[in-house]
Amino acid sequence: MKALILVGGFGTRLRPLTLSFPKPLVDFANKPMILHQIEALKDVGVTEVILAINYRPEVMINFLKDFEDKLGIKITCSQETEPLGTAGPLALARDKLVDGSGEPFFVLNSDVISEYPFAELIQFHKSHGGEATIMVTKVDEPSKYGVVVMDEETGRVDRFVEKPKIFVGNKINAGIYLLNPSVLDHIELRPTSIEKEVFPKISAGQKLYAMVLPGFWMDIGQPKDYITGLRLYLDSLRKKAPSRLAAGPHIVGNVLVHENAVIGEGCLIGPDVAIGPGCVIESGVRLSRCTVMRGVRIKKHSCVSSSIIGWHSTVGQWARIENMTILGEDVHVSDEVYSNGGVVLPHKEIKSSILKPEIVM
Amino acid sequence: MKALILVGGFGTRLRPLTLSVPKPLVDFANKPMILHQIEALKDVGVTEVVLAINYQPEVMLNFLKDFESKLGIKITCSRETEPLGTAGPLALARDKLIDGSGEPFFVLNSDVISEYPFAELIRFHKSRGSEATIMVTKVEEPSKYGVVVMEEETGKVDRFVEKPQMFVGNKINAGIYLLNPSVLDRIELKRTSIEKEVFPKIAADQKLYAMVLPGFWMDIGQPKDYIAGLRLYLEAVRRRKPYKLAVGPHIVGNVLVHESAVIGEGCLIGPDVAIGPGCVVEDGVRLSRCTVMRAARIKKHSCISSSIIGWHSTVGQWARVENMTILGEDVHVCDEVYSNGGVVLPHKEIKSSILKPAIVM
Repeated sequence: MKALILVGGFGTRLRPLTLSFPKPLVDFANKPMILHQIEALKDVGVTEVILAINYRPEVMINFLKDFEDKLGIKITCSQETEPLGTAGPLALARDKLVDGSGEPFFVLNSDVISEYPFAELIQFHKSHGGEATIMVTKVDEPSKYGVVVMDEETGRVDRFVEKPKIFVGNKINAGIYLLNPSVLDHIELRPTSIEKEVFPKISAGQKLYAMVLPGFWMDIGQPKDYITGLRLYLDSLRKKAPSRLAAGPHIVGNVLVHENAVIGEGCLIGPDVAIGPGCVIESGVRLSRCTVMRGVRIKKHSCVSSSIIGWHSTVGQWARIENMTILGEDVHVSDEVYSNGGVVLPHKEIKSSILKPEIVM
Repeated sequence: MKALILVGGFGTRLRPLTLSVPKPLVDFANKPMILHQIEALKDVGVTEVVLAINYQPEVMLNFLKDFESKLGIKITCSRETEPLGTAGPLALARDKLIDGSGEPFFVLNSDVISEYPFAELIRFHKSRGSEATIMVTKVEEPSKYGVVVMEEETGKVDRFVEKPQMFVGNKINAGIYLLNPSVLDRIELKRTSIEKEVFPKIAADQKLYAMVLPGFWMDIGQPKDYIAGLRLYLEAVRRRKPYKLAVGPHIVGNVLVHESAVIGEGCLIGPDVAIGPGCVVEDGVRLSRCTVMRAARIKKHSCISSSIIGWHSTVGQWARVENMTILGEDVHVCDEVYSNGGVVLPHKEIKSSILKPAIVM
């Protein structure tokens, strides 16, 4: 089976992290974002993944060769030379997706994290005999999204309503699809929206079905949702593979610590923390609701919450970092500095406190 | 003869432009910043330029191969693996700078623009028999800088005073030096300041001389000074090579227009404007005190002043862009939008007005 991952563009919402790496390679829970999806696809028998990209293929391709060897799955890129929307990239990658076997192929939005129940999706898709299956997820405020109106029992999709004013349903498109090759016949090679143009046509022909995504779902394409997403992801890890989480008197709640990170004495770590490879957490550090990326050093007695600390950065002694502070790559916060929501671009030194949220360039 | 250009690090003060290319390759007056210096060095007989860098050598090296062939001068990189300050890089590049000829070598700070009177500097250096000659420039507020205290007639340097509280002189270090090879014997391969550690020793030996830099001088490492620097540069072009400037009823003051740029009807361009290769300036556009980089498109009836428009960007119809607006690469300002000092990172679309200076990421 094949899969197409819509990687898209510049990842500007995840700056400053995406100033150092293209978005799919930004780490989430100690692993490049896209690797979570690629591994789940491999587990369900996908042999080739195509990345639909329009930015920085060279950086991506180097990493991908690495993954190809380690995972034993073929990974290729399909590069847009002009923006093709959410459906056009499928037409562009047509030759790679259609191999004559008649098997359906997956399409994923690269920012989405979930439990990726791909086996269940395949089963459901085959059982209803439709042309396309989309996964949907329940949300509390459907009026902000595109709502999928469906028959609760069969899952057949009736229609889509963009940002509905009155309540029509609470399921939205989760950005995970399983499509028959015939869907490609509906898509021209031009900027096209899969939700506004392609799916409504298939649903009018009564051949579009929706499956409610079990477990968690989050679009982690911006820092606030990235941090929330980590909580959901670690909750799920607690349920499915609790042995992977850290344990000990210095750990509170769900915490993921890479095996070659080092944590000092007297720390209190958690809940909802991920500490990446090569990190050094010195003594007496408090970390909660944060991600500490590869190679970071958090110095003694400091306190970090609800923030993301970028690769190879340093947080000084007694520093206090909170409220959606995002440090890019190689940022050094001096001792005793306070950051309230500072968003700091790579290769900077923060010598004085940031009292209210702002970008430091 | 040889020259070392201190390129240094990340160019963070010139962001967002330096998010797209390393600082020496950012265009100034339609030419990469560093090319101004390299051409002036070649004109005075320098056969090899060594760039002391600590960031993105690959990007630099590709461009430099290009310049090497076109200019017929050898260009190499000397890369710091740890910060070496302002003198350490000279020790690092020692083997490249000393060729046994006994000739002095130039050292330049990469952010400095001036008329580069290198021939006069060589004559001055030889006539005084000095070991090291630094160029100095007059400023109005010397208390903000490191002041060079010198004998007015001979140019012999007495001492340096950092940010003097009372008036000791009004000449500051212009970042252009001509040094005998023996100066390298005074510099260890460690983080060293040329102004605080090396020059004072040479001055104590009565062998350091200063020459007042004729003509203009500016450190263009930040946007405000970059814009002021363009004015000074174009004034100098007006004096020396006025034929390079644009003429016509639509031109006011000093304006540089690349031969491949296109300007429409009814425009008013200038003073102090540089328009780069492949730019399209549509009808009825007003430009003053701004730089328009390669392939930017300025749409009809818009008005831009005191700003920098990055490569491949667009300014929409009737847009008003002013007050130190800096658009990074590939930024698109929609029709009728106002930007008052917006600083916009690459690959963004500006659909609504920016009413007060802000970074848009």
